[in-house]
Amino acid sequence: MRDISVFLKDLSNILGSKILQTRIFRPEKICIQVQAGAHRDAIKFILEQDENAGISAITGIDLGEKIELMYHIRTYGTIITIGTEVPKKNAKIESITDLIPGANFHEREASDLLGVFFEGHPNPKRLILPEDWPGNIFPLRKDAPITNIPSKMEGSGHVEQVSYDGRLINIVMGPQHPALIEPERFSLKVEGEIVRQVEPRIGYVHRGIEKATESRTYLQNIYLVERVCGICNAAHAVCFCQAIEAIMGVNIPSRAKYLRTIILELNRIHSHMLLLGHAFLEVGYETLFHYMWRDREPIMDIMENLTGNRVITSFITIGGVRRDLREEYIPIIKAELAKLKDKIDFYRQIFENDSTIKVRTKGIGVLSKHDALKLCVVGPVARGSGVRIDVRRDEPYAAYNEIEFNVITYDDGDSWARFMVRLDEIVESINIIQYALDHLPSGPYRVRVPRIVPAGEAISRVEAPRGELFYYVKSNGTAYPERVKIRTPTFSNIPSFIHIAEGCNIADVPAIFSSLDPCFSCTDR
Amino acid sequence: MARVSPILREVLAHIFKKPATQKYPEVKPKVPSGFRGKQIFNISLCIGCGLCSRDCPAKAIEMVDVEGKMRPLFHLDRCIFCYQCAESCPRGAIKSSEIFELASASKSNLVVKPKEESVDGGGTVI
Amino acid sequence: MSLDFTLIFRILIFPGFTFILLLTMFCDWVERKIEARMQNRIGPLYTGPAGILQPLADFVKLLTKEDIVPFNVRNFVFKFAPIISLSIFIFSFVFLPIDGANIISGSSFEGDLILVLTLVSIANFLLFLSGWSSMNPYSAIGATRVLTQLTAYDIPLFTLALAPAFLAGSLSISTIASKQHIPFALLIPWTFAFFMIALQAELEKDPFDVPHAETEIVAGYETEYTGRRLAFLKLAKDVQIVLGAAIAVELFLGGPYGPILYGSSAFWCTLWFMLKLLAVVAFTEYLTCIFARLRIDQVLSVNWRLLLPLSLLSLAAAAGVSLWLNPLWR
Repeated sequence: MRDISVFLKDLSNILGSKILQTRIFRPEKICIQVQAGAHRDAIKFILEQDENAGISAITGIDLGEKIELMYHIRTYGTIITIGTEVPKKNAKIESITDLIPGANFHEREASDLLGVFFEGHPNPKRLILPEDWPGNIFPLRKDAPITNIPSKMEGSGHVEQVSYDGRLINIVMGPQHPALIEPERFSLKVEGEIVRQVEPRIGYVHRGIEKATESRTYLQNIYLVERVCGICNAAHAVCFCQAIEAIMGVNIPSRAKYLRTIILELNRIHSHMLLLGHAFLEVGYETLFHYMWRDREPIMDIMENLTGNRVITSFITIGGVRRDLREEYIPIIKAELAKLKDKIDFYRQIFENDSTIKVRTKGIGVLSKHDALKLCVVGPVARGSGVRIDVRRDEPYAAYNEIEFNVITYDDGDSWARFMVRLDEIVESINIIQYALDHLPSGPYRVRVPRIVPAGEAISRVEAPRGELFYYVKSNGTAYPERVKIRTPTFSNIPSFIHIAEGCNIADVPAIFSSLDPCFSCTDR
Repeated sequence: MARVSPILREVLAHIFKKPATQKYPEVKPKVPSGFRGKQIFNISLCIGCGLCSRDCPAKAIEMVDVEGKMRPLFHLDRCIFCYQCAESCPRGAIKSSEIFELASASKSNLVVKPKEESVDGGGTVI
Repeated sequence: MSLDFTLIFRILIFPGFTFILLLTMFCDWVERKIEARMQNRIGPLYTGPAGILQPLADFVKLLTKEDIVPFNVRNFVFKFAPIISLSIFIFSFVFLPIDGANIISGSSFEGDLILVLTLVSIANFLLFLSGWSSMNPYSAIGATRVLTQLTAYDIPLFTLALAPAFLAGSLSISTIASKQHIPFALLIPWTFAFFMIALQAELEKDPFDVPHAETEIVAGYETEYTGRRLAFLKLAKDVQIVLGAAIAVELFLGGPYGPILYGSSAFWCTLWFMLKLLAVVAFTEYLTCIFARLRIDQVLSVNWRLLLPLSLLSLAAAAGVSLWLNPLWR
C-alpha cells in the first residue's frame, strides 16, 4: 500500500494552494478538503496513481450556508475522501462521470435529495423521488418543509405500456412484474427479441431512512438501519455500530467480535441460498428452487436459536452483541453446517453438469473486467468478473483479521460465474463459522457505553452478501446524529445491468437480472 | 455431454420421502427459548422510570396512569419485538413469552396492559 | 325414430364427455401430487380426501369470478377460441378406443390417425389465436412463441406417429391399438423416446415451457382471460395433456388392451387404459421436474437440428422393422 504521506506530498505538489485542509475520519481515513472546482484534478490524480480506483459513494451534508460534497474514492484497499463545498443558493459543481462512469447514479441521487446541479452529467433526471414531487423541496436539507407536501400535482404519471419508437418496441418490465421481487421499473426497448436500450427508474421503495435517522437517538437508529434491508440486516447493524464505536473510540471485546463474525456469515449463507433458489426459479427450474429453500431452513432455525428471530436478528448493539451463545448449542450448529456442506456439493455438481442450466447461464450477460472496474461494481458481481475486492480482506473488521479464508473469484464474467462465486462463498462461510466456533474466546460479550456520542465523523465498511456496504456517520455531540449516509451495494451494481442487458435476448433478461442479486429495499432506502 | 446430473436420481428418490412441509395449523412449530414473542410485564418490579418508552424505536410504549403511578402500555400493532425495552429496563420487569400467534381482527386486542396481576408467570429474560 | 339411449349414454356419460372431464381432473390431481412429492412438498391436501377435489374446486372458483372483456380485443375470436379449442380436443377422443371400442362405434376409418393429429394442430392454432386476439404485448409474445413452437414440433410428431402405422399396417388408431401383441414401445423404443420428447414440446411442459414462462411474460396468452373464459382455457389445456398422453398410449403402449382376467371386458379395458395413461402422465411430469426452461431459439434449434433428423431416421428404421416383422404376423 502506498505510503499516505508520500501520496499527500505528491497531491499537494499538483494542487498547490487549492488544498484547504486535511482531516481524519475515524478510524484512520483521510479527507482532503479542496477548493470548489479542484475536485476533478484531485480525482484525476488518484486515478493516475491507481487505475483500479473507483467511487464508493458521494455524500452531501447541509451545513447551513453551504453544502459539503464528499467524494469517497476506493483505492488501494482503503477509502480516500475528497471534500468540497458549494454555496447553497447556487449549488452547482462539475460532474465526474467522464472520469468515472460509475458515479452516474451517485450524482443523480445527490441532485435529487440535496438540489446540487452537476454540470455535464449525461442524464440528469430524477432518480429517487417520484416525478410529481415539488421541484423546490430537497428532503435532505435541514430546512426542507417535508411535513406538509401539497397533494399530488396533475402529472405525467401515465406510462405507455407499449409504444413504438421507429422499429423499437418499448416493453416495460414494470413495477409489478413476476420476475422482480421488489418494484422497480425498467423500460426495455426491444427490436424483435433483442434488447437495444434499457432505462431504469428506481425509487419505488424510497422510505427516506437517511432523513429519518436524524430524528431518532443512536440506540433507536440501530433498529431503523437494520430494516433498510431484511436479508442483509446484520451487515447494516454491524456497519452502523462500528462507525459509532469508532467515533467513541471504544474497543469491543474479543468474544463480541467473534459472535459478530458468526452472525454475519450466517446472514451471508442464507442470503446466497435465497438468491440461488430465486435464480433457479427464473430459469424455470422449480424443483431446485424448492430444494434450495428447504435446505435453507436449518440456517434460519440456527438464527432463531441464536437471536430470537429468523430474519431480522436485532443481535448487534453499540459495544458488542446483545446475547451470548450458549455452550451446549455449539455442537448442534456444527452438525447442521456439516450437513449443509454436503448438500452444497450436490448443487455444485448440478451447476457443473446440468446441460439446461449451462445453456441458460453460460456466456449470458458477460461483464468484462474493464467494464466492471469502470462502473465501480462491488461484491459477487465484481468477483465474478475477475476483480478481486472484498472488504473482509482489504480492511478486516470484526474477527476477520484472525480467520483464514479465500476470496473467490472467477474470470468468466457471465451469469454462471456469478452464481458459482456465491455457491463457493457459502462453503467459505461455513468454514469461517466452524473456525470461529472452535476458537471462540471467553469473556464479556458487550461493554457498556455512554448514551451520548461525542462529536466526530467516521466511515465504516462491511462486506454485505451483495457487496461493499458503506456508512458515513457524523455526530455533533447531541442525542441525534447530524448525518448518516448509507450506500448499499445494489445501488452501485444496477448501472452494470444497463450495460449487460444491451444486446441480449429478452428471454435472458430475468436470468441476468437475478444473477446480479438485486435488493431494491437496499437501493432505495 | 457431461456426466449425468445427480438431479435425476434425487428427484425420483424424493417421491418416497416424507414431505418437508409443516402442516400448520394442525402441527404447531416449536419455538426455541429466547424467542422474541409477546411481552410479559411484571408490574410489581416496575418503578415507572419511563426508560422503556423513551428507548422504543417504534414508539410503541405509552406511559399511562395506573392508580397514580405511570406504567407502560404496549401497543403490539406498532411493536417490532426488538426488546430494547427489556434491555433498558433497570429492574428487568419485561420478559418475552413464546406466544407468536398475534393476529387479530381489531386493533383494540393488540395491547398488553399493565394489569395488577402478572400474566403467565415465567417467560424468558432477553 | 327412436332415440338410441346406449349411444347417448356413450357420448355423454361414459366413455364420452363426462368421463373425459372427470379423467382430466383426475390426471390434473395426479400431476400436481407427483410434482409436489418430487419437490418434497405435499400438494393439494384439504379439498376432499387427499385433495382429490382440488381441480374441481379451482374450476368452480374460476366460474364464479368476474368476466372482464378488455376494450380493444377482437370480440368473436377472443370469446370463442377457447371453447372451440376445448370442443375440438374432446371431439378427438371419439377416435380413440377407451373401453375396447370407440365412443361412437363404427366411427373409426382408415386415416383417422391423420385426422386426429390435424385436429390437435387446429386446436393448438386456436390457442394461439386466443392470445393474439388479446391485443396485449405479453399475450402477443406468448402467442407468437406458442405458434412457433407448435408449428415446429408438429413435424417430428407427425413423422414419429407414422412409425406405429407402418408396424401395424394401418392408419386407423383402433387398428393400431389392437394389433399390438407386443407394445410397440418395446419393438421400436427409440421412436417412443423421441415421441415423448416431441410430446413434451406439444404439451408445453419443461424444458419446452417457453410459451407460458411466468417469470418473463406474466401469463403468456392467458394474460387477458378472467373468470369463465379462463376456466375453459385452462380446461382446454388440461384436456390437451390427456389427449396427448392418450395418443401416446394408443400408438405405443397397446391402448386399452391388456390381460382380461374376469368379468366384463369393458371394465378391464378401461382400467388398463387408465393405468397406462397415468404412467405416461407421471413420466411427463418427471421430465418436467428435472429440467430448466430453454429459450425459444434454443427450443427451435433442438427441433431442427436434433429431433427432426432423428425422427426421419427412426421412421425409416421403423419401416425396416415392419418389413421384417409383418410376414411373421400374417
